[in-house]
Amino acid sequence: MSADPADREPVADGGAADEPDPTVEMAEQAGREEPDLDRGIVEAWAAKMISNPDRAYRATFYVATFFFLVTTLFPFYWLLVVALTPRNNLSEVGVFLPAGFNPAAFIDIFTTLPFHRYVFNSFLIATVATVAVLLVGSLAGYVFGRLRFRGRNAMLLLVLVTSFFPPAAFFIPLNRLFNTNVDVLRPLLSAGSLYNTPYAIFIPLSAIFLPLSIFILMTFYSQIPDGLEDAARVEGTTRLGALFRVIVPLSAPGVATAGVLTFISVYNEYFFSSLMTDGRPQNWAPMLEGILRFQGEFEVLYNLMAAASIVAVLPVAILVVVAQEKIVSGLTTGAVKE
Amino acid sequence: MASVKLEGITKRYEDVTAVDDMNLEIEDGEFVTFVGPSGCGKSTTMETIAGLTLPTEGTVEIGGRDVTDLPPKDRGISMVFQNIALFPHMDVYDNISFGLRLRKYDQEEIDRRVEEAADIVQLEGMMDRMPSEMSGGQRQRVAIARAIVRNPDAFLMDEPLANLDAELRVHMRTQLQRLHRQLDTTIVYVTHDQAQAMTMSDRIAVINSGVLQQVAPPLECYNEPANRFVAGFIGSPAMNFVEGEVVDGGFESQYTQIDFDPATHGVTPGQEITVGIRPEDVFLEEDSRKAASPTKAFDAVVDVIEPMGKEVNAYLLFDRDVEASAEGRGEGQLLINLAPDTEIAEGDDVRIVIDRENIHLFDRASGDAITHSLE
Amino acid sequence: MSLTDSLPFVEFGAPFLQQALFVTLAFAILSVVFETLIGFGQALVLDQDFYGRRWVRVSIIIPWAIPIVIQGMIFFLIFNPTIGFGTEFMQSIGVFGETPLASSDDSFLIVLVADIWKTTAFMALLILAGLQSIDRGLYDVAKVSGASPWQRFKYITLPLVAPALLVAMLFRTMDAMRIYGLIDATAGCETVPSLTCLVIIALQESRRWATASAVAFLTAVVISGFVVVYLLALRNSDGGVA
Repeated sequence: MSADPADREPVADGGAADEPDPTVEMAEQAGREEPDLDRGIVEAWAAKMISNPDRAYRATFYVATFFFLVTTLFPFYWLLVVALTPRNNLSEVGVFLPAGFNPAAFIDIFTTLPFHRYVFNSFLIATVATVAVLLVGSLAGYVFGRLRFRGRNAMLLLVLVTSFFPPAAFFIPLNRLFNTNVDVLRPLLSAGSLYNTPYAIFIPLSAIFLPLSIFILMTFYSQIPDGLEDAARVEGTTRLGALFRVIVPLSAPGVATAGVLTFISVYNEYFFSSLMTDGRPQNWAPMLEGILRFQGEFEVLYNLMAAASIVAVLPVAILVVVAQEKIVSGLTTGAVKE
Repeated sequence: MASVKLEGITKRYEDVTAVDDMNLEIEDGEFVTFVGPSGCGKSTTMETIAGLTLPTEGTVEIGGRDVTDLPPKDRGISMVFQNIALFPHMDVYDNISFGLRLRKYDQEEIDRRVEEAADIVQLEGMMDRMPSEMSGGQRQRVAIARAIVRNPDAFLMDEPLANLDAELRVHMRTQLQRLHRQLDTTIVYVTHDQAQAMTMSDRIAVINSGVLQQVAPPLECYNEPANRFVAGFIGSPAMNFVEGEVVDGGFESQYTQIDFDPATHGVTPGQEITVGIRPEDVFLEEDSRKAASPTKAFDAVVDVIEPMGKEVNAYLLFDRDVEASAEGRGEGQLLINLAPDTEIAEGDDVRIVIDRENIHLFDRASGDAITHSLE
Repeated sequence: MSLTDSLPFVEFGAPFLQQALFVTLAFAILSVVFETLIGFGQALVLDQDFYGRRWVRVSIIIPWAIPIVIQGMIFFLIFNPTIGFGTEFMQSIGVFGETPLASSDDSFLIVLVADIWKTTAFMALLILAGLQSIDRGLYDVAKVSGASPWQRFKYITLPLVAPALLVAMLFRTMDAMRIYGLIDATAGCETVPSLTCLVIIALQESRRWATASAVAFLTAVVISGFVVVYLLALRNSDGGVA
């Protein structure tokens, strides 16, 4: 199984499980590679590897990279294969090639359903939630990261404890709350209740993903030298002013990381997204409902589901491409140099 | 321009008292330096003036106005920080103009003032640079420009030269003095380096363990230290101390004996005292005419010699049996300054005299100075 | 169906809660172990300097950014007997039965693989961050003193990355203990019941709010048990969190 995993079964869990080994016993493994070669050549090659371990490590590195690339990317490729296969041929879809060629699926998803509206709803909800989380998380991060006060650790633990509960647990009270007509909200929301509004999704999700952002921002804000905050305050800002004019800009990688993590988490969330609306796009149903609709109302249109999935992944995929370096450096939490 | 007045300033953290009942009046236009070892509370004191720390007790007045409860931005002060604290995400212009922009000055006024401040610290033509592209000295000058651009009532400087290399530090010392003359503003300066305190200040406030030890002009602190701590802290190399007891005819310790009349110098026989002698007040017997009033000669052995160029530091032992202490100067050891051409070698037996005019006596129990001369 | 018998954890008829607890714990432990190991491997690859690293990094990270519903659908389709190739392949090596998405054991495996595929990337990301904060000078010191790459890994990389690793595992365990969306989007809660599944079943099908809350609290208690273990481990590894 460990011989040439890359060429064989890309999603097999067994192969995946074996794979961290290269880092552990790289030399030996490299020596065992390519078993179908002539014995003599293998021996010569193994001998060379043993005498020159750096080359063996290099070889293992390339094999591992290739393996990881295949296992992560293949499912996307196969999704594309399914999307391009005409619906009637779905049972004949291959592993590597579509059975037929039907790019029209990528147009059909917008005509059968207003799928763009679903994606827009998700995008908007995720954006609003991200802004809210960054704002609240910044304030909390400042307090936890830069102020010393009694009970700080206890409160921090309390923030973490909210993450112990399944989000579903919050659904019970929220569901009742959001379905209650609140007269105060009537001028704002036609129905007077939060159900079927974007608030019903972004409020609980903001709260659920807030702790992680607090932890990230706290770590960053705590590393900004005191002198900089003092300087800003002496120069004429309030504490809040120093936070947003000096501390936040200097923590850009951390803020970006927290933002991207929140955006992706909210965009990808499953539970609340599937329950807080009635599933109609004009009622702010998110992208998830759109994809599931291809399954429900008509017959199961797997090719359209696949096409819709590819479209729905694009925003987050672009985000990852753009922000990946920031995310890594953001999680590395490098101290700010003055 | 304004005076700064501290009244009963005390800062307590949960288990430590960082500043204990500090009373100090700094006059308009004065350059006062807080000096003391690290952790002595000098920075905390300055932070209470700036408003970055609120005192547990006491009041702060700037220009006759009680500012104890005002936030830093409303105190009319500006500050230069130890780690320079330039905003790394702003260029020189934005750093200098930060405070002015926050106060919504109009653009022309900002430009004029920034230019003027940059001119004073010689930063012309660097307005677009980022702090990361500048040398330590340049950054320091930007920090100073940022402080002077707002025409504050008082400058606070917290170890502004600590992060500069030795040469630059000496250079900036003179620059700051010139700046003080030019601006004629109150400057409160914090440092642990007694040389900076001596060279720049009108008055020095020596602080130890959160308690003010002495506030006086530099030379007064040097020549007439209020207590043993000040005597040991001000001056480099530091003063020698000899522990001993007052006897009928003067002072006696294990290795030394100095004649004087106890009554005229305010001590009584049997009292435990410490004698303080600065290294430059000790002479070889043959040079005893250099001393205004030499004591009788003592025997000593040369332990280590440090030629400094303009002078020679010699570490003496009163006796061959004395073990040189690994930590500072111990009992039986004496550091003296000699002229650079003195012919002396390690291991030599020498005879030394002390200038009686500059012998300090301190009460051993309280550390307080008793007299600064035995004449 | 012989393999089904050797994987006894999902038997209908046994007390439902017990099953859910077992499924959840088994899932959490297995997924976190595999994701940590593979994620470490990926992080080590991504930590190297090589041409095209940016795109390799993006490719490896991207599954983590995939919405759960899409992740679920991909694996649902792969193991859908008429469309996907997964069932056929797994049957050919003798692991799966006729309809894997209806069999608890097979579905558990599918959910596990799907989760590993997606969240390994997240582990890799966090571990990579830990790796990158290691002072490169230490490796030079080790090289000069003659340490082999394996020794460098064992004596420098592993201990220094341990705090980051533990924090990553902590967050992953908390997440894995609350698995729901992926199950719902592939095999369904009836086939692979997790604790959160129970909460939702109690809510939606029987409207037993008290039961739902009780299960939610039970989940929180189990998670806090894990958290305590991690925090103790973190303390021992000398890496303070925050």
